[in-house]
This record gives sequence, C-alpha cells and structure tokens, in this order.
Amino acid sequence: MYPRILVNCLAMTSLFFAASGQAEEAVNFIRDIRPILADNCFTCHGPDEAHREASLRLDLASGAFAEADSGARAIVPGEPDESELLARVASEDEFERMPPPDAGDALTKEEIDLLRRWIEQGAEWEAHWSLSPPKDPEIPQVQDEAWPRNEIDRFILARLEKEELSPNRAVDRETLIRRVTLDLTGLPPSLEEVDAFLRDTAPNAYERVVNRLLESNRYGEHMARYWLDAARYGDTHGLHLDNYREMWPYRDWAITAFNENMHYDQFITEQLAGDLLPDPTLDQLIATGFNRCHVTTSEGGSIEDEVYVRNVVDRVVTVGTVFMGMTFECTRCHDHKYDPLTMNDFYSMFAYFNSIDGKPLDGNRKDHAPVIQVPTTEQQHELTAYESRIGEIEARLKADWPEVDQQQQAWEAEMLARDENSDTTANIGLEDWHFVGPFGDTRRYLFNRKHGPEGKPIDLKQEFTLATEEIVTWQQRPEWVDGQVHRDLPGDMAANFLYRKITSPDEQKVTASLGSDDAVKVYLNGEKVFEKDVSRGVAPDQDILDLPLKQGDNELLMKVMNYGGNTGFYFKVMSATPLIPDEIVSILETAPEDRTAEDKAELQKHYRFKVAAHDELQQAKSRLAKLREQRAELERQIPTTLIWKERKEPRPAFVLRRGEYDQPLEERQRLTPVVLPPMREDWPNDRLGLAMWLVDPAHPLTARVAVNRFWQQLFGTGIVKTAEDFGTRGETPVHPELLDWLSIRFLEEGWDVKALMKRMVMSATYQQSSQMTQEAHVRDPDNRLLARGPRFRLEAEMLRDQALSVSGLLVEQFGGPSVKPPQPDGLWFAVGYSGSNTVRFVPDTDLEKIHRRSVYTFIKRTAPPPQMSTFDSPSREACAMRRERTNTPLQALLLFNDPQYVEAAIGLAQRALREGGETDNSRAEYMFRLCASRYPTAGELQDLINAVQVERESFARREGAAENLLQVASFLEDTVDNANELAAWTMTANLLLNLDEVLTKN
Amino acid sequence: MDPIQQHFTAITRRHFFGQAGLGLGAAALTSILPQSSAVAAGGLPDLPHFAPKAKRAIYLFMAGAPCQMDMFDYKPKMDDMFDQDLPESIRQGQRLTTMTSGQERFPIAPSKYKFEQYGQGGAWVSELMPYHARMVDDIALLKTVHTEAINHDPAITYICTGHQLPGRASLGAWLSYGLGSMNDSLPSFVVMTPSWTGRQDAQALYNRLWGSGFLPSRYQGVSLRSSGDPVLFLSDPPGVTRDMRRRMLDRLARFNQRTLDRIGDPETQTRIEQAEMAFRMQSSVPELTDISDEPQHVLDMYGPDVKKPGTYAASCLLARRMAERGVRFTQIFHRGWDQHFNVGGDLPKQCQDVDQPSWALIQDLKQRGLLQDTLVVWGGEFGRTIYCQGKLTRENYGRDHHPRCFTIWMAGGGIRSGVVHGETDDFSYNVAENPVHIHDLNATILHCLGIDHRRLSFRFQGLDVRLTGVEEQNPVQAILA
Repeated sequence: MYPRILVNCLAMTSLFFAASGQAEEAVNFIRDIRPILADNCFTCHGPDEAHREASLRLDLASGAFAEADSGARAIVPGEPDESELLARVASEDEFERMPPPDAGDALTKEEIDLLRRWIEQGAEWEAHWSLSPPKDPEIPQVQDEAWPRNEIDRFILARLEKEELSPNRAVDRETLIRRVTLDLTGLPPSLEEVDAFLRDTAPNAYERVVNRLLESNRYGEHMARYWLDAARYGDTHGLHLDNYREMWPYRDWAITAFNENMHYDQFITEQLAGDLLPDPTLDQLIATGFNRCHVTTSEGGSIEDEVYVRNVVDRVVTVGTVFMGMTFECTRCHDHKYDPLTMNDFYSMFAYFNSIDGKPLDGNRKDHAPVIQVPTTEQQHELTAYESRIGEIEARLKADWPEVDQQQQAWEAEMLARDENSDTTANIGLEDWHFVGPFGDTRRYLFNRKHGPEGKPIDLKQEFTLATEEIVTWQQRPEWVDGQVHRDLPGDMAANFLYRKITSPDEQKVTASLGSDDAVKVYLNGEKVFEKDVSRGVAPDQDILDLPLKQGDNELLMKVMNYGGNTGFYFKVMSATPLIPDEIVSILETAPEDRTAEDKAELQKHYRFKVAAHDELQQAKSRLAKLREQRAELERQIPTTLIWKERKEPRPAFVLRRGEYDQPLEERQRLTPVVLPPMREDWPNDRLGLAMWLVDPAHPLTARVAVNRFWQQLFGTGIVKTAEDFGTRGETPVHPELLDWLSIRFLEEGWDVKALMKRMVMSATYQQSSQMTQEAHVRDPDNRLLARGPRFRLEAEMLRDQALSVSGLLVEQFGGPSVKPPQPDGLWFAVGYSGSNTVRFVPDTDLEKIHRRSVYTFIKRTAPPPQMSTFDSPSREACAMRRERTNTPLQALLLFNDPQYVEAAIGLAQRALREGGETDNSRAEYMFRLCASRYPTAGELQDLINAVQVERESFARREGAAENLLQVASFLEDTVDNANELAAWTMTANLLLNLDEVLTKN
Repeated sequence: MDPIQQHFTAITRRHFFGQAGLGLGAAALTSILPQSSAVAAGGLPDLPHFAPKAKRAIYLFMAGAPCQMDMFDYKPKMDDMFDQDLPESIRQGQRLTTMTSGQERFPIAPSKYKFEQYGQGGAWVSELMPYHARMVDDIALLKTVHTEAINHDPAITYICTGHQLPGRASLGAWLSYGLGSMNDSLPSFVVMTPSWTGRQDAQALYNRLWGSGFLPSRYQGVSLRSSGDPVLFLSDPPGVTRDMRRRMLDRLARFNQRTLDRIGDPETQTRIEQAEMAFRMQSSVPELTDISDEPQHVLDMYGPDVKKPGTYAASCLLARRMAERGVRFTQIFHRGWDQHFNVGGDLPKQCQDVDQPSWALIQDLKQRGLLQDTLVVWGGEFGRTIYCQGKLTRENYGRDHHPRCFTIWMAGGGIRSGVVHGETDDFSYNVAENPVHIHDLNATILHCLGIDHRRLSFRFQGLDVRLTGVEEQNPVQAILA
C-alpha cells in the first residue's frame, strides 16, 4: 500500500504542525535537528573516525560547538549568522555547499529553516534520546477529563488536543471483544463468549474478558509467535542443504514462558544465559536455544573459520536488534556512521558469543551439537520404568538359581574332564561382543570412514566423541549371543560398531552368517572383508561371508549403519564350533575355592548367557532382550533441541579488518558498548552478566524496545516505528513521554508482560472505534496519533487459525513436533538440494496435525509455507522485529482457492447447517456472526440468503459438482446426504472468509 | 497507490455505483480501473532516474556455476600444460574451497572442447554452444565478472540479493519496488525453475533468491510452476465455475463496499481491487501458459523440448510471452551446473539444455521488435577452476568453484551488441584487464532499466541499503549502447 515504509519523521512532524498552526513552537533537538544532522552530515562528520573529514564531528556537542581547524565554529548558539554550518548548508556555491554533491542532496528550505530557528533559540543539545535512561514524565493535563481510562490516554489525548484533533467514539462491544480476543489470543471469540459479553452489564465486564484471555493458553501461542520472528526460529538449518533441525522444544519453551507470564527480565536471562544459571533446569537449557536459532550450513567446501564468524556475527546482531534496537551489523566492518558504536564495541560483544562448545558447521544434522535430549513427561516415565524393569531382570539373572547352579557345576565338571584334542569340531574361540556408538550422521556420510574406530587399531579403552559431543566408550555385551537377532542397538540415523576377539589354533577359513539393519561393513584384522550398502530390516542369515583367520588372536570389527528407525544385527559362525574362551578356561582350571568373586561372576555370566538351556532362565533372557530393544526404540524417539554450552576456555576474539574472518587485528576482551552504562564490577563478565546488564534499570534501551514491540502488536505500529532501530537513523518516538512512562512502569512492575498488555488494552485509546473520516485520514494516514482505533489486516497465522476456528476444525493441542498441513505439490522439490532430507514435502494427513494452530506449522526456511509467506510472514532466516502488511492478488487467490481455506469453508457450512437452526435466515445469521462476531444488517443477511439460493440452484443444475467441491474436505465422510445444500453454503462460507471485515482487525 | 488519492478514487467510484446500481458495478469495476497509469502501477515517484533503454528484463540464471573455459573463455595455452601444476604465481595463495584445498596438486585441465571465432567481433565460442556461436553479434560477452564468495549458497545469495547472507531484497524485488508493474493482470516479477539434464545431484535454490527481503512481500517473485497450478491457488476449487466465482466476487465487492462506506479505510478499497486482479489472473495466467497459439516455426526455433512443460526451452518461450504481456522481470533458474567431476559427461547436456532455447529467445524477441527494450542476462554465481578436481584425463575432469573470473553475457535494451569485454589471464584464473564485480553487473542491469543504482535504496536497520552494496560501483560503460 505505502511504498515508502519508513516515513521520514521530520516530514510527519511538520505535517502535523503545519496542520495545527503551531509553527512557532520551540524546535526540539532530538525530534527536529538530530535527524537532519544524522542523515546529511554524520557520514563524514560522525562517529566513524576513519572517514571523518576536516576533523569535524557533529554527532557530539563538543565537536559541533568547538572551533574547527579553519577557526570557524560550526554552531554558535543564538548566532545563526556566525554558525559556519548554516552558511555551508545554505550556500548557493556548489563548491561551498554541504553536503557536497557526490555525498548527498542539498538540504530543503524547511530543514535549513529548522536549523536556523534552533540556533536562534539557543541550540540546546541533548544526547540521542534512546541512549539516555527513560525519565518518569509528568502525566499530562488534558481538557477532556472524561475520556481517559488510564494514563496512556492522557498522553495520547494531550497530543491530540495539541493537534486540535479529538479521539474517536468508543467501539461497539461486538467489535471490541473481537479485537481484544484476536489481539490477546490470535483467535476470534466464540459466539458464547460474544453473547456472554453482550449480556454482562457489569462495569468491569470488559476487564473480566481481558483477564480471561490473559489466562487462556491460546495467549502464549499467540505472543510467542511474534517472539519467534524476532528469535528467527525455524525447523531447518536455512542454508544449502537446508536439512531438518530439531528445535521445537525451544518454540514450546517460548509459548510456555508467555503463558506462565515469565517476567521479561527472566525471559531474557534464560535465553541469553540459561546455561550459566546455578543448577540450570532442563527448561533453562532449552531456552538457550535462542543463541542457536541462526541459520547454519555444512556446504561442502565451506571454510570453518568463515562460518564460525558468520554464526557469531548473527548472534551479536540479533541480540543487538531484539533487546536493544541497535544496528550492530554496521559495526562489523567499520565504526558506525550514525550511532556512537564502534568496531571495538562489536568485537567486544563478539567475545561473549564466540565460545560455544561445538562446531560451526552443522554437519547437516538435526541435532547440531551441543544439544540436549528433551523427553516428554510420558517418555520420562517410560524410561524410568524400563530402567527399573531391566535392572530387576539383570539382578534376577545374577541371583541364585539353585537348579541352574547345579547344572553349571555339572557342566564345569564335564568341561574339565573333556579332552580338548578329541573334540575336532571345537576349533575357534569367540569372545564377548563389545560395542560403541551411536555415531549419528546423515545418510550421505554414514558409509564413509570418518566415524569411530573404523580403519584404526582397536583400543577398548579409547573414548569417542559423538556428533552430539557426548563421550562414549566400548561396552562389553555378553548378552549378545550368537545365532540370535539383537535389536537393541541405539540411534536413529547412525553407525554402531561391534567388536570381538576371535582366537584360532590354526590358520583357517571359517564361514560366518550375518544379518544387519541396514548397511554393514566387516573388518578382520584391519582388512575389510565384506561390505553391503542396503536398506533392510535385520534377519538371520542375510549374508554369508568367509573369515580368513590367522593363528592366534584375530580382531573382528563390524560396522552397522542404520538409515532410520530400528537397527540391529545377527551373527553366527557356521563352519566351526566355538571353543570356550581362554579366560573362562582359566577360571575353570582354578579350583572353585581359589576363584575370586569376579571370576565367579564371570563364569556364571558365561554359563547363564552362553550355555544354559534352563527354561525359566531363557525366558528371563529373552524378556531382557525385548526390554532393551524397546528402550532403544524409545530413546530413538526422544527429541533433542539445540542449546548453548560454553567452552571451558573462552575462545579469543579479534577485531576483524573489514569484518573478514581471515583478517584478525587486535584481540578484544568482553566489554559492553562504551556508549551505554558499564556493567557492574561484581557481575560475571559473561553472557549471564550481559543479561544482568541488559535488564538493569540503568539500561536505557531494553525496556523501551520491549514495550515498543508489544505496543506494535496491538496498535500496528510502534511508538517508535522502526522497532528494530532506536538509533539516530531510526524514527524518533511519536509519543516519547508515553514510551518512557510505560517503560518505567514495566520496570517497576518487575517486567510483568501480562500487566503491560492489560494496561494497553484497558486504555480508551485501544478501545476507540477504527472508523476514519476523510479528514482524519488526510491528517494522519498511518494513525500514528491514534485519534482512532487500530485497524489492519490479520497476520498470516491469525488468518489461517481464524478460518480453522470458525469452521470448528481447529485442534487446540499444545506443543510437540512441527506439523505439515497440506501445501501444493513440488514447492520444496523446486528448490531443494537433491541430497537434502527436506527435498520432498510429505504432508501430514491426521486431522490432529493438519488442523493445528499455525505456530506449530513446519517452517522450511528456504521454502516457507505459502500460507505464511504470501501474507508477509518472514522466512525466519534472519531476525524480524516487524512485518509488512501487504494487500495482493496472490493473497486473494489463496483465500479463494487454497484447499485448506476451502476445507474451512466446508467446515463452516457444515457447522451452520448443524448448529444454525433450520432456516436459511438463521443459518446465514449464525455463519455471519461466527466470522464477524456481530449480527448482520438486514441487507447483509438478505445478500447471504440470496447467495445461498442462487448457488443451491447452480449446484442442483450440475450433477456431481457439489460432490466434487466437497471432496476437498479431509474430514468429511465419503457420502454426504445433502451435498448440494452443503456446497451452496460452502460458497457462502468462502465469501465470508474473504470479507475485508473478517480479514481485518477492526 | 497514494492512500489519499485512492480515497478520492473510492469516492468517485461510490458516486458511479450510486448511478449505475451495485449489481452491475462490481463487474464494471474491471473496465474503469486505470490500466497502466503510473499511479496504478506502483513504483517510486522519482523513478526511472533517466530514460531507460530497457523496459523489462529476462535473467537466465545458470545455477551451480558454468565452466567458463569450456564454453566462452578460450585458453589455448593450456593445451600444452595438461597435468602440469598451476603455477604459484597464478594462484597467489588465494583461498580455495575445502573440497580441493587438501589436494596435493592442482594439475591443469585444459578444455577438451574445440573453440572457433565467430561474428564480426571474432568472439571465441566452444563447440558446446553452436547456437550461441551464431548469435555472438547479438550479445555482449563479459569475461571478467568476479565475486568474493566461494560456495554456492553465499555466492548465489550474493549475486541475486547483493549480500551473502539471507535477509536482503532480490534484484527482481528491487525492480518491482522501484519501477512498479506494467500490467494489471500478471505479476511484475516471475520466476521459473525448469528441469535440467546434466548432473542430477544439483545445488539447491532458495526462495530468498527471488524474495523481497526487507521490502514488502508484494515485491517478491511469483513462481510460475510447470505442474499443478502455474501460479499457486490459481484454479477455483473443483465444482466451482467461473460464473460462480464471478458472482462470489460481486457479492464480496458489495460487502466490502459497505465496509468501506462504514469505516472509510482505503485498504478496503485496495482489497476490492486485488480481488479483481486475482480474478483477472485466473484468466490471464492460463492464457499466458497456453502455447497452442504459437506457430510451428516459432516452436521449432526453441527446439524439441519446448513442448515439454517445465523444460528450459518451454521456460524461455514463456519468458517471451511474458515480455509481450508486460511482465517487468522474468528470471529462469536452470540448475545442474556444478561440475566438480564429469565435465565430459555432464557439461554437454547442460549446454544442450540452454544453447538453442537461449538463442531462440533472443531471435524471437528480435523478430517481434522486443529485444530493443528487453534486457537479457545469462550467467551463474561464480566460475570454475582451470585446475582439476579429482581424476584428470584429457577426456574427463572436474572443476572446483572459482570466484575470481567468470563469463556472463548480456543482450538487448541498453547493451552494445557484439562486444567482448574484459580479459582473463592465460589460465582463466585472474582478471587481466577490465574487472567487473557482481555489484557492477547489477549496477549495469539497473542502469539499462533507467535506474541509478546509487539512488535506489531502502532504509533497513539504520542503513540506506542498496542492491549494489556500500562500495563505489559502476555500470560497465564499455558494453552500454
């Protein structure tokens, strides 16, 4: 609609003042003068030392009022004619005039006039507004004492009265409940809620609605969605392969934080530094995912140091933007041209965010380390249950089994008596399996040799680091008996290694049979003797191979590569009878009374696992195997999420010349930007200290930036329009005192977000009608002065959620893995890398998944869902503090024809037929009210009824047309009795779901 | 549209409806809408900055990075240096991707393909591009384009949006934002992602390459798809006829008009108009993609693939049809150019995909008198190395990414045809003369469309962001007509 998004604040103020005839008002430095200087002068006369011309600095009073090299003074307060600055900007001479032609356009007459008047009035200089702490302002006096409901209104009204504007009437109650319900929950009110409010005549009826909404769990889902834009949360890595990233526990954390009204200081602290809190909880660790939400890559050819720098830069820039409204990005390469931020500041901030204990390249893994497992409560219970049941059986297998023990004694005797030389078939010794894993990776890389002990000598004491940064060692697994299938290997997409020693009295070739899920490689004495790349489930005797054994000890290493789901193996030597392993023989040869407790246990274990055939014992063994298999399966299902873990030793940070990763200059220590109040000495100089610094009342930005963003949610535009930039190039607040007043209350109330939201929606300002007269529109097209209520198109998620809600299809279920409601075929494939695990979109089909709220929709960042991106939702590749609100034909097409919206229309029609009474009249009214939350006028009602009648006939004339339309609904039974009727109402529902009034917060 | 002006338009229209009656009104709306006035087209008031030579542009993007020395950048001296190490004096310690930085040697892989000179300017073209050989006098070859990025994602993001990281506006979005639309029934920026026949394990594309970044999303490219709806959600649901949709729109206009009367928000007016444009698109897009009215000799020109939906040939023909219909910017992303290995096997297929159809597009535009005000650009995101990646034989070899020089061509409105600009060294490794940074290239494209790249900016995060970055950049004067 408005191509120039960032309206020049100067133009706007002058428009207002011109309109209100107050041109002789005192010129305000912050509002009127500083933006002129910043836009036109700071490039060459600003904070950036490297590009400063003529040693003149105009961003500081000390520079502007000082005597320059030439002897002249740029600004002489009260003496415009002696002020060199004014002479130069007003000069007619091209060589004299500032800015020079190649640097920018000449100042306008109005700008020069403002400068002149400001100097005449004494050239009062103030620091940039956002860098001074908020001042608790006087509550303004207003003429119309009747209008204000709270202090917000006094600030708004005072300005309106100055502009000779007056506020709009209060909005009607139907529109009000719809507005506030949408604003606090992202959903429209139910008819019951509307009716209850209409009936409630108590003076605090509205407040009761607000309280109810703030307590609703839908509130957190709605509030978190805005935050997730800022935090750049997505379900894929965002670069190159753009593989799946498992991160949704962070999204759920954010939703819960809002629902539980976590105060904003805590909200910041847990996200920036949850891991540094004393004994951090699982939730606090999940919160640190904020620092991991940035896009990552593992593109072949990437240079690790370059990616490392990019990752850290994104963290610094995002923290600067979302918490402070500062544009740190500029200072990556040079001192800031406009704001008092330097490259030193940037790389000092860099030093807080560069010491993650993990690799910069994501390995194309969903669990790019460091990560943490996040079992659901149910999974946690199941895990505990498995642990105890497995423990019980293990104990039982070690316990006394008199019968078995007797058999063991007999067996011992038999073994001792046996003449080994006479047993010609027993010619090979097989020791216990040892195991290490799971080495998780993408399918592409599982088969190569980079993992674990492959291609290296085996050392059973060796430690291995998994991709999750977990350290693992070899484990002995005596229960893995040959000739049985074992399915309790861990990991999903992962390689596991199995190792055992085989002793052979002679050089000989034996035949082995194996099975594997999925691919397998076998090494004997370091030589590869078998490999098979295959996708299969495990079964006995899938492959037969020869093992050429040498005399003495042989080392067998098996690598089992699982491409997904369950994994397991099978092994048996076919052509030879196993000997009793040497250790067991030596125990046997020791007299029972001389055996150590360990020896006894070893012998018992060998007998019970490898030899015994006792029924009950066998049952216990197979129960154990089964339980282990089930536990492995459960562990595969436990989600992980990316978190922050700090390295033991911080990584040094350097200023990088022009921001280039390979051009380090001097080292920088952790330090907050010098223009802001310093950190206290007794705070830790790490991310935790940084969080404490951000939420300290002395910090001039944190509260203002937060308050402004919440304000923007409700009113469409922030008090500072440039929510992401509170610097000199950002917009000056349109109501600076109100912003400060709200910020100070926010601080005083302990950063209570719900209290802040409530204060704003309880104001008369918020409760105004959004009706606009032509005069109001001309005076204030963007409604910055708020002489009327907010009115703008609902955001992408709200549109879809509303359609699902009014049609009765919405599934209100909290959290869990992101879902994939249907989208047109081929959108991922058109752009996806062939080897990516998100190259093909597979829609969910369960109604419980496809009708969830949009905050749970899967976001592939390089190809976001069209239902979202068509309506201006960001791709989540980078931090976004506000969304545009466009109005395009593609949006209309989507709302007309997207099967999800058509399905919603069918649902709405069905609902009207079932619940809306028996007549066209009552049904049309019901349907309209569901969508608009108000009663239709007689004319509107008649139009709807006419529409139904016309379309009813139209469907009746065309056999099968109605059935074709209704096929779009996934929730309908195959046959519908009243297809024509339902189809006709569907067209009406489709109309209603496209009404400007329904798509808009009125 | 300026909201105030729009409001007055709305009032005029109410007046009109008052006389004509509402039933007729909405249907008649289409005809009274301004078709191509500057205001209705959007765009910035101060653009174009000067008289444009091109009104529209078509960008043939070769994603993955074509091998310049096997196609255009002829390096005869390499033949004698087969399998010799690339001299250190040429490599100059420049950074390599980690795919070859571990190689013990950097042996030279001369192109196996024959080159000859063509046209009045004597441009060298390899046997892989016989149709290009026939049109060297129609195009300007730039052999010295260079970039800093050495991997696909940052490099393609860089050339398409002016920045290596996600978040910026793409070239087409800048054009739509700055120049607005030239038609009222098709998008002003259209993207196609055709199939390819070379290396199937192809590099990814990203919606950000045609995204609007910080600009409003209305300026983002619209994907024209070869299967399903050509434009997302274009088709009415099953069982719903055009008449039915028309009736629905008339009702919608009535309801929305009431809202407009009651509330007075100009956005409502815009919504009415956008719904009407959506309705028009439901006819104009199928008309656009239906090529049954193309004469056989035109189809023949594009080659046998032109009738297979979703091929590069079919996309080129659609690009011409869009040029005729006032689409401002069409971008075709052809994938599969990442020849790390098997140049001998895959490169000929890739070339065959694009050679004839690209030529046909130029000829077709020329024959219709459209080439003179249509800018056509062909090229990838970087070049490839003269040294071999992997196994080297005379017949087959691989090439790694190379940012320091690559070849692109431009043709049509604003371009001096028949020019070969810039020279690389004997190894096609460094620029010998007349370097063209990718920002210069984008500045050149903007220049042809009447835009001074320094003056097209948008304030984002405190910076006046430009497509061409913060450094001094210049259009390539030598190739400008």
